[in-house]
Amino acid sequence: MKYLRGMGVVLLLWYVAAFLISSPVIPFPHSVFIYTLDQFVPQEMHLHLLYSLYRILLGLFIALFFAIPTGMIAGRVPALDRLISPVLYLLYPLPKIAFLPVFMVLLGIGDLSKIILIAIIIYFPASVTIRDGVKEIPFEFLQLAVAYHLSRKQVLKDIIWPAILPRIFSSLRITLGISLSVLFISETYAASYGLGYSIMNYWVMAQYTGMYAAIMLLSLLGLLLYIIVDWAERLCVHPRANM
Amino acid sequence: MILSLTDAKLDYPKTTAFQHFSLTVEDGEMVSIIGRSGCGKTSLLYTIAGLLPLSGGTMQRAFGNEGVALMFQQDRLLPWKRIIDNVLLGLSKEKTEEAATFLRSMGLGTVMHHYPHELSGGMRQRVALARALIRKPNILLLDEPLASLDEQQREMLQNDIKKYVRDQGITLLLVTHSIQEAVFMGSRIVMMTNKGVSYELKNQLHDDPNLRTRDEFFSMQKTLRLHLEATR
Repeated sequence: MKYLRGMGVVLLLWYVAAFLISSPVIPFPHSVFIYTLDQFVPQEMHLHLLYSLYRILLGLFIALFFAIPTGMIAGRVPALDRLISPVLYLLYPLPKIAFLPVFMVLLGIGDLSKIILIAIIIYFPASVTIRDGVKEIPFEFLQLAVAYHLSRKQVLKDIIWPAILPRIFSSLRITLGISLSVLFISETYAASYGLGYSIMNYWVMAQYTGMYAAIMLLSLLGLLLYIIVDWAERLCVHPRANM
Repeated sequence: MILSLTDAKLDYPKTTAFQHFSLTVEDGEMVSIIGRSGCGKTSLLYTIAGLLPLSGGTMQRAFGNEGVALMFQQDRLLPWKRIIDNVLLGLSKEKTEEAATFLRSMGLGTVMHHYPHELSGGMRQRVALARALIRKPNILLLDEPLASLDEQQREMLQNDIKKYVRDQGITLLLVTHSIQEAVFMGSRIVMMTNKGVSYELKNQLHDDPNLRTRDEFFSMQKTLRLHLEATR
């Protein structure tokens, strides 16, 4: 429901803009909808959507796969944190997208370089958020773990993991927006599928209705991912886990 | 003898928590340790629990680390675990049925699938007590676990702890700053400062069910209060 209200506001703004500017550069929303419905399959929009979804999910997965242990180690072992955190801080603000040509040369111009770029961009904020989450676990709980003779595995499963799970979700929410815009840029080169490619393709052909259709799909893809993240969080994070 | 400390000392990087502390506890005894805040009571308890190493002196324990259960000042229930799972913390799932039976016997049967935040402070401490007792410890260490409760809840839990500890033959070591609690709970009351034991009192009426209303209950408190004043 709240998403429908949000869409209503965006649509209203869009109509106002289209009406005021009245140029083919900003088509009316309804024509974009009709175009999307008509051309979804003929223009292979479903394939573009799926390719983008695949790249972003894989990028997120790879990023978390490395960010979770990094954050855990940095949060738990102060000696290693003194090494890890400065490295994270140094590399975090680098414009990773500027290294795109390097990735293209090293990883090829196919899917891999795109996915790795997304993964690297998400890796840094995710690591830092998870590290902070681990550091904020109350000392009392860790002392409890010692007093009640919990094994390393039990400490991880019963105390650390539930405490950082909400952090993982908030880092996902923070990085989803970034990863979608990076996805767009990475799909503008050497791609034949993906919403980014599709947008640029329509742009070059000055086919604005189609371009807006692809932009709208990218936005809906983002919305869908946000809804999934929220839903998954409700499913696996206890509301009181945020101490 | 279940526990014996001789000339025990614990140093922190900048201060000494306690020193010259000697105490022998017999099996099944219920010892209250009382002292002003900052006298090293909690540190002493953590040392006995094996959480902190002694800096000097010796400690003999007739039990391993597994034989100790420590109940903290705060309940320290994990907010993301249901009551039953908090009680089973660190134990195998095979104990679930036993834990459920135990919780029912403690009057917590109806809340065992609730989360800690849904319970009152008294109930939460009761869960923490269950979490300690389910381990069948040789010795139960209590670090002012009732300090945050109101008087009614506190007295109720004092009665319960005394009952469970006696029924299961567990040795009790309680640290408190409340004279009333020390006298009610302890068969022996030990007063400590950070320079060791300053006074000791045997509570002959410990097993009296009407202890709270006996004149001696108050006279013992008075004696202890006078000695506590003297340690200032």
